[in-house]
Amino acid sequence: MRLVVAVTLALALAVSSFPIQAAEPSHIQFENRQKRSGVWFVLDNGTLPDKPMIDGIPGGVALLDYDDDGYLDIFFTNGARLPELVKDGPNFYNRLYHNNHDGTFTDVTDPAGVRGEGYSIGAAAADYDNDGRTDIYVTGFNRNILYHNNGDGTFTDVTAKAGVAGLSPTGQKLWGVSAAWVDYDNDGKLDLFVSNYLDWSFATSRVCGAPGKRLSCSPTFYKGEPNILYHNNGDGTFTDVSEVMGISAHIGKGMGVAIADYNGDGWMDVFVANDNDRNFLFKNRAGHGFDEVGVEAFVAYTENGVPVSSMGVDFRDWMNDGWPSLFVTALGGETFPLFRSEGNGFFSADTYAAGIGFRSFKMSGWGAGIQDFDNDGYKDLFSANSHVSENADVDPQQHYRQANAVFRNLRQGTFRDVTDEAGAGIEIRAAHRGCAFGDLNNDGKIDVVVSAIGSPAELLYNTSPDNNHWILIQTVGVESNRDGIGTRIKLTGASGFVQYNHVTTAGSYASSSDPRVHFGLGTDTTIKEIELKWPSGTVQVLRNVKADQILKIIEEPKP
Amino acid sequence: MREVVVSVLFALASAWPAFPEPCSGAQPQLARISADLTLGNVSAAEARLQPIAASHPDCPEVLLARARIEEAKGNVEAAANLYVQYTDLKPQDSRGFAYFGRLFLDQHDYARADALSAAAMEKNADDPAALGLRGQLLAMKGQRQEGQRLLEKACGLDPNDPEAQYQLGVIFDRDKNPTMAVEHFRRATALTPNDARGWDYLALNLEPLGELDAAEQAYRKGLSVNQHGSLFDGFLDYNYGRFLAKRNQLVAAKQHLDRATEMAPQVRAVWYERAKLNLRLKNYQQARADAEKAASTLDSAHVILDLQIYALLGQVYARLGDTERARKYAELTRQTPPPVRGEQR
Amino acid sequence: MDRRSFLLRLLATIPAVKRLAGTLPTQATPPLFEDVTARSGIRFKHAASRTSQKYLPESMGAGVAMFDYDNDGWLDLFFVNGARIPDPMPRGASPDKSDPRFWNRLYRNNHDGTFRDVTEAAGLEGRLYGMGVATGDYDNDGNVDLLVTNLGGNILYHNNGDGTFTDVTAKAGVGGSGWCTGACFVDYDRDGRLDLIVTRYLEWDFSSNVFCGEHKPGYRAYCHPDQFNAISYLVFHNNGDGTFTDVSKKCGLAGSPGKALGVAIHDFDADGWPDVFVANDSVAEQLFHNNHDGTFSEVALLAGLAYDQNGRAFAGMGADFGDYQNNGWPAVFVNALANQQYKLFRNDKGKFEDVTDAIGLGALTISHSGWGAKWIDFDNDGWLDLFVAQGHVMDNIELTEPRLHYREPALLLKNEQNGFRNVSAQGGPALMVPMAARGAAFGDLDNDGFVDVAINSNDSSALILRNSGKSGNHWLTLQLIGSASNRDAIGSKIRLIADRALQQTAFVSTAGSYISASDKRAHFGLGSSNKVQLIEITWPSGIMQRLESVAADQILTVREPSG
Repeated sequence: MRLVVAVTLALALAVSSFPIQAAEPSHIQFENRQKRSGVWFVLDNGTLPDKPMIDGIPGGVALLDYDDDGYLDIFFTNGARLPELVKDGPNFYNRLYHNNHDGTFTDVTDPAGVRGEGYSIGAAAADYDNDGRTDIYVTGFNRNILYHNNGDGTFTDVTAKAGVAGLSPTGQKLWGVSAAWVDYDNDGKLDLFVSNYLDWSFATSRVCGAPGKRLSCSPTFYKGEPNILYHNNGDGTFTDVSEVMGISAHIGKGMGVAIADYNGDGWMDVFVANDNDRNFLFKNRAGHGFDEVGVEAFVAYTENGVPVSSMGVDFRDWMNDGWPSLFVTALGGETFPLFRSEGNGFFSADTYAAGIGFRSFKMSGWGAGIQDFDNDGYKDLFSANSHVSENADVDPQQHYRQANAVFRNLRQGTFRDVTDEAGAGIEIRAAHRGCAFGDLNNDGKIDVVVSAIGSPAELLYNTSPDNNHWILIQTVGVESNRDGIGTRIKLTGASGFVQYNHVTTAGSYASSSDPRVHFGLGTDTTIKEIELKWPSGTVQVLRNVKADQILKIIEEPKP
Repeated sequence: MREVVVSVLFALASAWPAFPEPCSGAQPQLARISADLTLGNVSAAEARLQPIAASHPDCPEVLLARARIEEAKGNVEAAANLYVQYTDLKPQDSRGFAYFGRLFLDQHDYARADALSAAAMEKNADDPAALGLRGQLLAMKGQRQEGQRLLEKACGLDPNDPEAQYQLGVIFDRDKNPTMAVEHFRRATALTPNDARGWDYLALNLEPLGELDAAEQAYRKGLSVNQHGSLFDGFLDYNYGRFLAKRNQLVAAKQHLDRATEMAPQVRAVWYERAKLNLRLKNYQQARADAEKAASTLDSAHVILDLQIYALLGQVYARLGDTERARKYAELTRQTPPPVRGEQR
Repeated sequence: MDRRSFLLRLLATIPAVKRLAGTLPTQATPPLFEDVTARSGIRFKHAASRTSQKYLPESMGAGVAMFDYDNDGWLDLFFVNGARIPDPMPRGASPDKSDPRFWNRLYRNNHDGTFRDVTEAAGLEGRLYGMGVATGDYDNDGNVDLLVTNLGGNILYHNNGDGTFTDVTAKAGVGGSGWCTGACFVDYDRDGRLDLIVTRYLEWDFSSNVFCGEHKPGYRAYCHPDQFNAISYLVFHNNGDGTFTDVSKKCGLAGSPGKALGVAIHDFDADGWPDVFVANDSVAEQLFHNNHDGTFSEVALLAGLAYDQNGRAFAGMGADFGDYQNNGWPAVFVNALANQQYKLFRNDKGKFEDVTDAIGLGALTISHSGWGAKWIDFDNDGWLDLFVAQGHVMDNIELTEPRLHYREPALLLKNEQNGFRNVSAQGGPALMVPMAARGAAFGDLDNDGFVDVAINSNDSSALILRNSGKSGNHWLTLQLIGSASNRDAIGSKIRLIADRALQQTAFVSTAGSYISASDKRAHFGLGSSNKVQLIEITWPSGIMQRLESVAADQILTVREPSG
């Protein structure tokens, strides 16, 4: 039951140790295969003529393998009837689709028992009780739900028992948006971080814009809400440690959440994208508490020193220098913040320097990802786009329905918007919201599932025509949490090319992605070395690993 | 019975201008002169006017043309006298009031400009000169929609009035409608290629449309014609410098922001922008000097908020290793509430 | 000029559109419907070619369609007709339609209440012994095409857009065989192209005819369907290139034969996919649930829809889905023969319950025999009423059951929210005309916002009933044009909120009734509301569209937003 694959490849690696950079950046292509997939999920925000601000905020996507058959299944969150905030019809149910391994999916919502309750917003999937089965946490406006995976295709709502209902200390339900599973104290059990938005209700709801053309009111009208950190007690229950850990003292308007060890100290840190308020970077003090250092690290504001409508976020290393950096989505006219980690605790606001400023100025983004779509070893950017207001088009510069966007990594810390060349799948104009990243068909290319208000969710299969090599690493923690979330991976290809990533399902907007860690390997057909730094502290090294496989790595016992 | 009719006709006829009409035969030339002046071709207008003034000494319109020529040459008092004479002679001609009002506007005498523009509209609400001036004034007074309507009408009646095109472009710029703004600034700069302001605005509005090469060209055109005078643009270097910084041409950006700080040292934004650029260039001491200068410069228009200055200073001092000041400004950054944004989005 | 403003301009010229709101006291009793057949110039007379052999098809025809074949914004009429049957039919021979009195007929709407016979110009005379009709723009070219079901197969006519039609049956591959009855166009796999479902009645041909009734003169009767075997249905999947593939087996319908007459479609369980209800004669009714993968499962028994409240099969003929309670769940109405009562199955979140007696419908219908029937809001009060075209199937029924009648006037049941009331008497003389009604189509023939009716009567003259719009209530008619979805937008779901108290839903379909095709435009009565707060359209593509603050009393064209 020790580590699984350490493929011997004694071959003389004098084989053209061609630097990977020599390969031309590949052409990124996506194809929407929703129609033949059998996935007909339409996100229903239940909007009303007055456009209450809740109608812009759903919804998320989770890619998880709930039945452990090696293929990612899809879970969507959904809205509810307004103003009642109840799921009174099938159009409002959350949905779970089982992957049939042939490009089709089967709706298993009812047998699984995951229709949900209330106005759902986000989803986060991980195995919180280390039983080998992926559980689901659903955030929402009036109801957060923890579903325990029973292992037989069904789930049980264990919210009450687990104590993760998303309430404030005074018992008020906070407006949950995103959630992240993270073992912040490295005790081998996944804890839960929940971002909360703001204090809105129908009673206090304001109306903005003209009758018949209502717009979403600015969040500056409402008070922000504190985020929540739940510590996993290991017995199926959680303890709200928001206050003692220094989380709830910071009031923001939380939307996207992403985790990474930004300072390389072995403890996972948490970034929260705040809507029209300064972003938070919670620096982990060795599991004993968090310091909010967004201002000090220069990620609180844009390069202009002002907050923007930060929505989605991803936190990964696109420079291949070992330092996770931040990609944040925002509304049209603001540009997407891109905070590049300098490795010294500071981030550089690189939106224009990286070449995405002028293009993202015209976009409004929700879901966000830093993923290597063409397997060239350089992570690219993806944003799921749409303006927040259905009637945004009263302003000729804004558009409610927008195409998604993909920015190809040009390898010098710059990107190019290649959306126009990426195929029809990505050009669908819709009210996109959350999106999740993962390899739906296990072909080694990262696909994207995007939820959209009022139109079918898109299953964007990555059909990039490159012949680059890849690996997907599935970590199985033993002393660490079973999912291995928080494991930092350094990969050295046969050519000596080095890149980094870490295990997480968090990131994007209100969504949850493939727990398997993906690396594009360019022309390298073998991997010289994979180094895993497990949350337990164990450092595990694999050598001479074959490319183009899904590799399950089980945590070694401590020496 | 028949006699009565005749006498009525006579009475009507006697109310008409005395014969012979003093401007008779000069109308086409006068129209051309007016168009020249609208486009700012003063010397051409003057050359054309000379023979007309000689052949039609009693034609009041000659006075109007002379007034506009004097004004264009900067002889404000002479121009004002001529406008007064003309409006006495032709109290029903809206143009006299409109051009006179424009003179007051250029002298920052807004009350008189306002009154004269209103008077001009009363005489003739279809006069493009009156409409252009009134529209601009209404927009300045905050009645943007009505201002826009009048300016649109003015541009429709006389598409060759560069000032009306420019003012309408400004309204679309304020409305964050770059597509329409670009249309009018393109027209304004085509009519008056030495209008540096127009080129600047054109470039600024091409940026959000992603037409970066066209913006670059417009900035350069503007810089090549940026002479002191009514069309001078003191912020052209500032805007171009920012644009170049966004395009990662940092050395060139620095040159223009350097000039911007010379041209508008009283403006906080120019120091702020150069501080940010110096930060990117890792000229931390320079960045510090500029940021502190920005902090000590008043910004009554709130273009650059205190929050932005604090955030910048926090970064600068952190980069300089001055942890105490860095902490102080970080603290100020935290304590300063973010700006309240527009009520909707 | 776009189509909508064109329509509006046309409308503005009709005095009827000008609102009469509030001017008419409710107790005024001018008739609700007028018989405008004579005025319309429609002289259609169905020719059944009755024989002494009592061949069963003689008693069953025929259908009628309301559709706008020339895209002028006005509904035209198409009547299906029989053919000459020799008495008796020689072996190997078949009915002969060459005599003009047996032709199917197309009448073009002249926009002034009159119609012109354009059958020959259109080339729609037909062949075979006609039964029913279905309409749909199967090739998404903007012109509604026509399918005629017959004894012996189908005929598909492609609408060329220039006033003519071409018989493309062979090329399209939808000819089929057997006794085809109710049919509908529906994009069951949501690929943007209308597929075709054709139901069939019995395994019957002229050689299999038997003697039924009493062996005395005049007492030979049309046979009960029990005498013949059930037959499977035909499903044709649209390939998008003008051809269809017979998927009857693949999609699962072939495994569930029946004795079908009426067919209706709706998404009864709100899972986003169109399902199919088939009204069967004297065997269990059928509900084909869409499995989302191109197949159907027959679930009528589980869903509570196979039999009536007493567990009995009945002579299901015309049928329709309708949200008569305005609760978002479409109920099923099926009519039947005399002594059986018409059936109303209430839909409770996808489960049906026969509430015929519970709401008093049984007593109102027990002595009637219904054919064409539809949920229509005849008085535009926002609540769906029932219109049933009637007549017993046996032309000699009076001989054996003097209480019953071969010819019956139509039945109009007003939805009073807590039950239904028979208001046929207020229908005026038009609703007192006894008929051997069969097919009936429903739609707004004069674009005045009130639903009119056309009835095809067996072996007798057709009847055109104009709804005189006496209620003065407001209305809204939506014409949906699909782009990612099929162009007719069939399968779109519409939710409309006139005011907070009145929410209605509709499903775009031309099916329902009895072997007939109705106006594809979705019609809503709005009561006293002169404005609609919200319209929510879920297109078959899955795209959801919302319109707000829509003025009442117009025919609004809505295009599917590009995805």
